Amino acid sequence: MKFQIEDVTVYFPYDYIYPEQYEYMVELKRALDARGHCLLEMPTGTGKTVALLSLITSYALARPSPPLKLLYCTRTVHEMEKTLAELRLLHSHLPPTHRSLALGLSSRKNLCVNPYVLSSASRDSVDSACRRLTASWVRAAAAEQPPGAVPTCSFFESYDRAASSGPDAVLLPPGVYTLGDLRALGREKGWCPYFLARQMIRYANVVVYSYQYLLDPKVAGIISREMQRECVVVFDEAHNIDNVCIEALSVSVRRQTLDGATRNLHRMAQEIDRFKATDASRLRAEYNRLVEGLAQRGNLALTDAWLSNPALPDDILKEAVPGNIRRAEHFLSVLRRLVQYLKGRLQTENVETERPVDFVASVSSQAGIDQKMLRFCYDRLHSLMLTLEITDTDEFLHIQTICDFATLVGTYMQGFSIIIEPFDERMPHIPDPVLQLSCHDASLAIKPVFDRFQSVIITSGTLSPIDLYPRLLNFNPVISRSFTMSLTRDCICPMVLTRGSDQLPVSTKFDMRSDPGVVRNYGRLLLEMVAAVPDGIVCFFVSYSYMDGIVNSWNEMGILQDVMQHKLVFIETQDVVETTLALDNYRRACDCGRGAVFFSVARGKVAEGIDFDRHYGRLVIMFGVPFQYTLSRILIARLEYLRNTFQIKEGDFLTFDALRQAAQCVGRVIRSKADYGMMIFADKRYSRHDKRSKLPGWILSHLHDAHLNLSTDMALHIAREFLRRMAQPYDKAGTGGRKTLLSQEDLEKMGEDPMNMF
Amino acid sequence: MSGSVAVHRGSLGFPAMGGGEERRKRGGDDEEEEEEEEEENGVRGMEAWERAYADERSWEALQEDESGLLRPIDTKTLVHAQYRRRLLLRSAAASSAAPRIQKGLIRYLYVVIDLSRAASEMDFRPSRMVVVAKCVENALELVYGYLSQIPSYGHREVLILYSALNTCDPGDIMETVQQCKKAKIRCSVIGLSAEIYICKHLCEETGGSYTVALDESHFKELLLEHAPPPPAIAEYAAANLIRMGFPQRGADGVISICSCHKEAKVGGGYTCPRCKARVCELPTECQICGLTLVSSPHLARSYHHLFPVTPFNEVSSRIPTKWSQKLPQTCYGCQQSLVSHGGKSDPHVSCPKCNQHFCLDCDIYIHESLHNCPGCESQHGSTT
Repeated sequence: MKFQIEDVTVYFPYDYIYPEQYEYMVELKRALDARGHCLLEMPTGTGKTVALLSLITSYALARPSPPLKLLYCTRTVHEMEKTLAELRLLHSHLPPTHRSLALGLSSRKNLCVNPYVLSSASRDSVDSACRRLTASWVRAAAAEQPPGAVPTCSFFESYDRAASSGPDAVLLPPGVYTLGDLRALGREKGWCPYFLARQMIRYANVVVYSYQYLLDPKVAGIISREMQRECVVVFDEAHNIDNVCIEALSVSVRRQTLDGATRNLHRMAQEIDRFKATDASRLRAEYNRLVEGLAQRGNLALTDAWLSNPALPDDILKEAVPGNIRRAEHFLSVLRRLVQYLKGRLQTENVETERPVDFVASVSSQAGIDQKMLRFCYDRLHSLMLTLEITDTDEFLHIQTICDFATLVGTYMQGFSIIIEPFDERMPHIPDPVLQLSCHDASLAIKPVFDRFQSVIITSGTLSPIDLYPRLLNFNPVISRSFTMSLTRDCICPMVLTRGSDQLPVSTKFDMRSDPGVVRNYGRLLLEMVAAVPDGIVCFFVSYSYMDGIVNSWNEMGILQDVMQHKLVFIETQDVVETTLALDNYRRACDCGRGAVFFSVARGKVAEGIDFDRHYGRLVIMFGVPFQYTLSRILIARLEYLRNTFQIKEGDFLTFDALRQAAQCVGRVIRSKADYGMMIFADKRYSRHDKRSKLPGWILSHLHDAHLNLSTDMALHIAREFLRRMAQPYDKAGTGGRKTLLSQEDLEKMGEDPMNMF
Repeated sequence: MSGSVAVHRGSLGFPAMGGGEERRKRGGDDEEEEEEEEEENGVRGMEAWERAYADERSWEALQEDESGLLRPIDTKTLVHAQYRRRLLLRSAAASSAAPRIQKGLIRYLYVVIDLSRAASEMDFRPSRMVVVAKCVENALELVYGYLSQIPSYGHREVLILYSALNTCDPGDIMETVQQCKKAKIRCSVIGLSAEIYICKHLCEETGGSYTVALDESHFKELLLEHAPPPPAIAEYAAANLIRMGFPQRGADGVISICSCHKEAKVGGGYTCPRCKARVCELPTECQICGLTLVSSPHLARSYHHLFPVTPFNEVSSRIPTKWSQKLPQTCYGCQQSLVSHGGKSDPHVSCPKCNQHFCLDCDIYIHESLHNCPGCESQHGSTT
């Protein structure tokens, strides 16, 4: 269908549109008009992605100059594929003259088609296997020697031949290219899909890629450097964006890292000796280049580009590498001293927290490395590795981590702290020293994105309270709004369960969580529910350790055995393969009617990325409030920073963080409007206003007052009624005043009479 | 006894025996039997006041109005509204398809009754087991075994009354579902607790209906929905002749050996016109020669499924008094007054063909039991 929003003709790939999608587009358009950033919360299952894509594409068509580019950031490859599929549908509805180029970009692991490279298991080893075949010196060697003597990648070679005649030779025709399409195209033409995609993002109108390509300065430096200002950046499912930002600038160093770094240094020293004996001119050339302070990246071949500096572009000083690390041997000895120093620091018996300033001062006095040398470590290492023609970069991850750390600690004085813990708080008997450089300020990593691009759109199903995000990320949205879902029937049923059937309160509060009464009440709740709810039930616990504990107790009490009579039990573990297998079998048990319960952990992989829609999740029980581990040093340091810098109270932040996780967990069960599901918040603390009010609006609007303080038996009764009601046939379109599907005529009518809008 | 199920309402269906397993316990699936069962089960060692809370749930018959006052639920209009919905649904389905749908009148319907532990849940009065009478796969396999022998004119159907929320199957149920689909067995499920994916899947695949009962009366309503014959399956829609016998009723006092009970019976029964064997009940299939035995009223009673009485139009009570005075004051069927004390007319209906007015009770009676419109019939009689 096709309709007008103010002066923009919007192409929408479906015949009907939800009213909230329309409103969402209106707000989005205003934000684009204002060339500002915006923050939009809309529940999942309301077609957020298609609304976004449809409006931005139509907007770009309506305003052809300057050309507007869409950078769409997703968290996972799966979401990327879903987005591209929606985009393809949208493209088939655009007028043929308006076709544009859209593609997905991912790592080599997802794009490579060379069977030899793909046989590597991890992402890093795929990267280095690729470098081994495509690095400029490898190709140069291959050109000199008889064909076949030095292995190269045939896909890259033929792509390079095609591209050498000008960028137009490899320009893709307009259309939507998913990762699978790119791979198929690569196989067909014999071109390397990864480098083709890297090249194409400059010309594409829509690029779908991962958060890291914009937020992690190391990756963003090479991938997103050339994007123009006229870009609309969308962060989808962005409720955890502050954590992504923080992780992008945090480094942790363990004993294994330091041991590995020592090995790396040893090998590099050998390489240097070898070069000195055979080809000393290379080292001299590098030295001269560094003296002249040449920018290293400008003249590098595409394949040699390595991850760039971890510090943000604005913070890098444009100056030459300091003299005392220009010579390779000198630089290695500096690194050796640094590694030695860090080893010494890790041997501490106590937890230590330091500010970067103190740490740099201490490095300077004890190891003789000043701040400027630290800051240049990463670039210097990069240069050295190129000079030494090292291709197996996955072997050198350890020393990279150390230099990463050094550069960050040398660059930033504010918003970071260094925390050294001799052991994990929860397992004090096992020594596991770790030195962490943790970033507390999410706004640091995202600042260049806000500054560089015209509009940044942050959207998710759970962004409540919506006023906190601008403070955490330190920006001024022109529009921030939360939308609710228009429904023909009340298909979600949130409940707050505060008491067990014996009327005693339940909670995972620290002093109550191990109380056998609470454990038993939680068990009874599960038992009652498995007998009353069909197909799949998902349970979320606050942590792995709590889940282990309570499942053990249930086992001893015989509750687990009773549960098994109704449904099979599956448990998420920290092992990805095991969890995938469990999920797979869980789905099968739901399909064949046996019924299943999945035990999972808030903040875990499952809570973040797996959907439990339709019969895979008719009920989700959130056992307790998923607060972060409040004794964690990193959290304490971050809270202190937030209080001092942004005036955010500790309690507010902790509650906000816990509730967004809880909302994220329970939101897993509703993925479309035709779906239905129940959500039980099983903790007495949820009934308090300060907790409850931080839930997203679309959950709150269905949380009736009568459901705020339930006991197990009452919840059971409500559940039975709800399930029977939902099993009845219903009217999908909605009638009368509660219209939930709008056709083109409806929209046109609304356009004529703007006062009559909802 | 789980034989004369759902089909007793006049469609020419042939009672088939419920699967052996399912018959283990008493299956009180029939409406007439239901009441007896209730009485049997009534005494469960509970005091009368306990029963008032546990079983009768008197509070459910109350409703809160806009001003917060409690009042009894107006059951009559409610029942009628439900009935209208059902009727209109049915006629809408009929009119949307071809005007004359061939209907599968000869149905072989197996009723599978869930007697698992979940059936003893008490949320239906007096318990789910009594309201209706587990392993879906085994049941389907069993039914498949019985039904696969049936000639192509017969409709193979299974109605599962399911109260559990899961099924524990020995093999792959998906295969069994596909097998049933291939054999054109129409599987329908009435659930008692909640929607279960596998049941929905089964019904969607095999073209049956899946419904979940809200309460006892809704359950009855859903069960009755299965009484009218479903549209014939297209592949089998070709007209073919079926050999049928119309047996004579045996004379009183004649002693003969009954072919269905394998014992000597005195009087009653019917004699197969082909092999002269005695059977007890009609309709059935002769045990000896396999001839389909029916009586002519059975055929006549199935006629209304093909030519149903058109649904009546509702007459709005908000018509201005000027108009309502011209309207008839009494129901054409029962002669009861259609005007309430206030002078306003009660909600009632009129036949679109003969324009006679009927009260709500007569409306239900005509459509559900009589299957003839008295107004149209009397016009018919006067003209000829």
